[in-house]
Amino acid sequence: MIEFKDAAVVAPDSGVPILEPTSLTLTERHISIVGANGGGKSTLVRLINGLVLPSEGSVEVEGLDVAKHGPRVRRMVGFLFTDPSAQLIMPTAIEDVMLSLRRTIKNKHERTAAALAALEEFGLGDRADVSVSALSGGQRQLLAMAGVLAVTPRVLVADEPTTLLDLRWRAHIGSLLRSLPVQLIEVTHDLDSAARAERTLVIDEGSVAFDGSPVEAVAYYRDLMFGRVRRDSA
Amino acid sequence: MISMLGLYRPRRTPLHSAPAWFKVLMLVTLAIVTVAIGDPVTSVGIMCACLLLLISTEPPPRATLLALLGTAIVAALSSGLHLWRGDYARAIDISADLIGIVALALAVTCSTSMEAMLDFVSWAARPIRFLLPPETLGLMFALMLRALPEVARMYLESRQAARARGLDRSIRAIVFPTTTRTVGFSLQLGQALHARGIAEEAREKRQSRAAKAAEARVLKRAKKLAKDDPAAAARGGAPASAGEPMSREDAFDLLSAAPPGDAPQSDRA
Repeated sequence: MIEFKDAAVVAPDSGVPILEPTSLTLTERHISIVGANGGGKSTLVRLINGLVLPSEGSVEVEGLDVAKHGPRVRRMVGFLFTDPSAQLIMPTAIEDVMLSLRRTIKNKHERTAAALAALEEFGLGDRADVSVSALSGGQRQLLAMAGVLAVTPRVLVADEPTTLLDLRWRAHIGSLLRSLPVQLIEVTHDLDSAARAERTLVIDEGSVAFDGSPVEAVAYYRDLMFGRVRRDSA
Repeated sequence: MISMLGLYRPRRTPLHSAPAWFKVLMLVTLAIVTVAIGDPVTSVGIMCACLLLLISTEPPPRATLLALLGTAIVAALSSGLHLWRGDYARAIDISADLIGIVALALAVTCSTSMEAMLDFVSWAARPIRFLLPPETLGLMFALMLRALPEVARMYLESRQAARARGLDRSIRAIVFPTTTRTVGFSLQLGQALHARGIAEEAREKRQSRAAKAAEARVLKRAKKLAKDDPAAAARGGAPASAGEPMSREDAFDLLSAAPPGDAPQSDRA
């Protein structure tokens, strides 16, 4: 369970609010978050694993305050970025997954076997020794997923994971994400994908403009974007 | 340099089987020996041995030849001055030294995975673990190698963008976007490391060590105070006997009851 308790974020230099005080309890298995660019979606999800710390209020994951127990929370919460290139650190696919496993599996042979198994699970078994720069965009995102999920997190936060992908990879990665046995918090501009969640949040101008069923949320978001609804009427 | 990165291919050659420490030691030793020996015949012999070692690792041909070609050009330029002065022996010695060392470095790169190199750097850095956690140092090494091709890619893209705008000759139009994008990439990489929890173990260990050291300091000061001022010890609720072990709580109570100069301050955090 993820709990936001009046969590707010303010720009450190200018004092401009990025996220208004927000209180939410996220228990559903798949939650999608939609909203315009610059609305505060990424800030909201970065609060979940402490990439951004709240200026006011707090965020708790399974009862642990993210600000106080950052490393423990990050072991429970995996994070998938839009651009996988920045997430891949080692030169080859298998080495990158092995890097994730260094803390949990000390024996090198066991680590290699676990990394290979993780790559096999994501259909990258034959690309294990290939340089990450030689992988396609979709394969890189798969590899980033393999690296994050190799340490078996309970929650996966995906910040627009399919934005840079073509239609085929978008469908593949999208269905893979939905089939994972973790709680998935997905920020997306793909409204079809958003509508498949159990709950959808619409973020606008730094606050939650709508929180409810995906079909209603997507309809609300469309109206909001095309000016057919005003925020204060929601 | 860029072509040297990603040369590693898993193979079953003798050099692939050798441990990373042995290969690095061999590279350092041979580099010192070749530079120290001024005899051209010996230098050429060592160069041939290094080239054979490189071939034995079955390196990717194109990238390896490009790297060697670049080195050969630098070697030719370096020895040009000696040739012009008629010092043929020195010219051969310098060229052979340079090509030999680069060939051996390539052989090590081709036969050592980053994982093995990370283990080696972490192991080698253990003596300075109080200054910098070995895992962090190993990670810094890996990140440095990871960042090089990315910076090169950003430079090439910035150059293409400058060309597209008709600014081929403007250094500023190439350097500024490359620099800002490099900073952006570094920030993204840092966030990714943070999100993946990599190197946090080292930080946790460091914090735990610092906390233990702070606790030890508090206990030491409290014991000293209890010994010097038994009245203050009694007020703070310290154990009656000086030889009795003192708990952390007792130490804090004691120092809190003591005059301001002895009170624990930041140690408690």
